[in-house]
Amino acid sequence: MAKTLTQEFTKGLWEEIAPFRLVLGLCPVLGVTTTVENGIGMGLATTFVLVFSNLLVASLRNIIPSKVRIACFIIIIATFVVVTELLMQAFAYTLFLKLGVFIPLIVVNCIVLGRAEAFASKNSITLSIADGLGIGIGFTLSLAALGSLRELFGANNLTIWTTPTSVIGVQEVFGPHFQPFSFMVQAPGAFVCLGLMLCIMNLLGSK
Amino acid sequence: MRELIKMVIVLTVLAVLSGGLLSGFRNATAARIEVQQLKFVKGPAITAILKGVSNDPIEDRFAIKDGETERKVFVGKFDDKANTVVLESFGKGYGGDIGLMVAINMEDDTIVGAAVTTHSETPGLGARAKGDPGFVSQFKSLSINDSFKVTADGGRVNAMSGATITSRAVCAAATEAGGIYQRMKPQLIEKLKEFNK
Amino acid sequence: MGYMEIIIGGIFVNNILLAQFLGNCPFLGTSKKMETAVGMAMAVVFVLVLAGVITWLLYAFFLVPYKLVYMRTIAFILVIASLVQFVEMFLKKSIPALYAGLGIFLPLITTNCAVFGACILNIDKELSFMKTLVQSTAYAMGFGLALILFAGVRERIILSRVPKPLQDTSIGLVTAGILSLTFYAFKGMI
Repeated sequence: MAKTLTQEFTKGLWEEIAPFRLVLGLCPVLGVTTTVENGIGMGLATTFVLVFSNLLVASLRNIIPSKVRIACFIIIIATFVVVTELLMQAFAYTLFLKLGVFIPLIVVNCIVLGRAEAFASKNSITLSIADGLGIGIGFTLSLAALGSLRELFGANNLTIWTTPTSVIGVQEVFGPHFQPFSFMVQAPGAFVCLGLMLCIMNLLGSK
Repeated sequence: MRELIKMVIVLTVLAVLSGGLLSGFRNATAARIEVQQLKFVKGPAITAILKGVSNDPIEDRFAIKDGETERKVFVGKFDDKANTVVLESFGKGYGGDIGLMVAINMEDDTIVGAAVTTHSETPGLGARAKGDPGFVSQFKSLSINDSFKVTADGGRVNAMSGATITSRAVCAAATEAGGIYQRMKPQLIEKLKEFNK
Repeated sequence: MGYMEIIIGGIFVNNILLAQFLGNCPFLGTSKKMETAVGMAMAVVFVLVLAGVITWLLYAFFLVPYKLVYMRTIAFILVIASLVQFVEMFLKKSIPALYAGLGIFLPLITTNCAVFGACILNIDKELSFMKTLVQSTAYAMGFGLALILFAGVRERIILSRVPKPLQDTSIGLVTAGILSLTFYAFKGMI
C-alpha cells in the first residue's frame, strides 16, 4: 500500500481540494453559494453520492468490463443521485427546493465521475471510501467558505441552517446600518469571488 | 464474443439492481415526501385560511373519489370539532390554471376562507391574487352553493383592477369548488364523522 | 410567456453559462483558444437542441404515463450519454468533415452540465413541445455566444502580464465575472 488511509482522506482537504486545485465541478460551486446553508447542503449531498459511488465502483472494479466502464459508472452515480433526491425531498424539502436543478446535476459533476474513474476503479474499498469522504468534505468546506464570504458581504447574514420555525445563524453581522454589496450574491459576484479565492489559494500554495 | 456477453450481462444486472433499489427507496419515502410537499406547497395557503384550528390539517387529510379523479380533502377542527373541510379547485387564468384552496364549514355551507395556491399569471397583475388578501377575502362567509361571478358579469365579486381574467378564473375555481362540494357532500359527512370520534 | 421572451431570455438574461452557472467546466477548459471554443460551441448547440427535444418526448410520453417521474435524472443522463455516442458514430460515417471538427468535443459533452441542466430546466418550467425546442435553441446559442466572446477575451489576456497568483483560471474567473456583468445589463429587457 503506497499511501495510508489517513493520507487518502486528508489529501482531499487541502492538497487536492477539488474546486480550487483541480478546478472541477464548478457549476454548483458558483450556482448555490449565495448562502452558507446552500453551500453546506450541496456539499453534503455531493459527499453522500461520492462516498457511495466510490464504494460500489471499488467493490465492482474487477467485474466491470473496461469497455463499458463509463456507462456502468454513470448508472451507479445516477442511482445514488436519485436516492439523494428522494431522501432530500423526504427530510429536507426546503433545502431541496432552494438547490433546485443542482441536485440532479450532481450526476454530471466532473468530480464524482472523475473519482470513480481515476481512483475507485483502481483501489480497494476502504481506500476508496476514505478518498470519497476526503474529497467530499473538502468540496463541502470550499462551498461553505465561498458561501460565507458571499452571504456575509452580499446579504450581511450568515445562515447555517433553516428549520421551518427558526433560523440557525447570525443575522446582520455588521449591524443594521451596513449596506450589503448585492453584487456578491448575484451571478457576476460568484465568478469574481471564486477567482479571487483561487488567487489566494495560489499565493498560499506557492510557498 | 465472451467479452461481449459479459458486458451485456454486467450492464443488465446493474440496471436491474439500480431500478430495484430506486423503486424500493421510492416506496419507502413516498408517504413522507407527500406530506412534505403538501406542507410546503399547499401548507401556507391552508394555514392562512384556517386561522385558529386546533389540529394539523395536513396530517388530518383523506382522499375521496370524485368520478375518475381522486381529490385530497383537508380537515379543520375548531374547538375540537371537525366541521370544516378544505379542498382545492382550479380555474382557467391568463397563463394557465389558477388553484384555489377553499375552506367550507360543513354545518352551514359557508366559506370560511379561500387562498390562491398556484398560478402562472403576469407578475404584478394576476399574481396579486396570491398576495392580496383583500380580493380573496370577499369570498368569506358567502354560501358555497352560490355561483360566483365578478361584478362585470353580473355577480357580486369585485374584480382586481387590471386583472379581470384572473379574477374570473378565481371565481370559476370557487364555483367549481362548490360543484365538487355538492357532489361529494354525503361522502364528506361520513368521513368527518370518523374524525369526530 | 411569448416566444420572443424565451429567445431573449435564453440567450441573454438567463444565459446558461453566465447567469445560471451551468457548463462551467468546458467554459473554462476550452476557452483558451478560439478554435477549440468554436468547436465546443458548435458541438453543444448540436447536442443540446437534440437532447432537449428527446428528453421532453421521453418525459411526456414515457415517464409521466408510467408514473416514473422520480427516475427522471437517471433516464435523462442515459439518454444524453447514448445520444452523444450515437451522434458521434453517425457523424463519423456520414459527415466526416464535421466529425473532424467536433470529434474530440463530443465525448466531453456527456458530462456537460449545460446540456443536462437545460433538459431539466425545460421540464421544471413545464414548457410545451414548441417552447422546449425554442428554449433549447436559445440556451445553446447563449452558450455559444458566451463561450466565443470569452475565448476572444482570453486570447488577449495571454498577451498581457498578469500577476503570478492570478494567472490562468483565476484571472479567467474574474474575467468571466465581468462578462457576466455585461450580460446583466439585459436583465431589464424582460
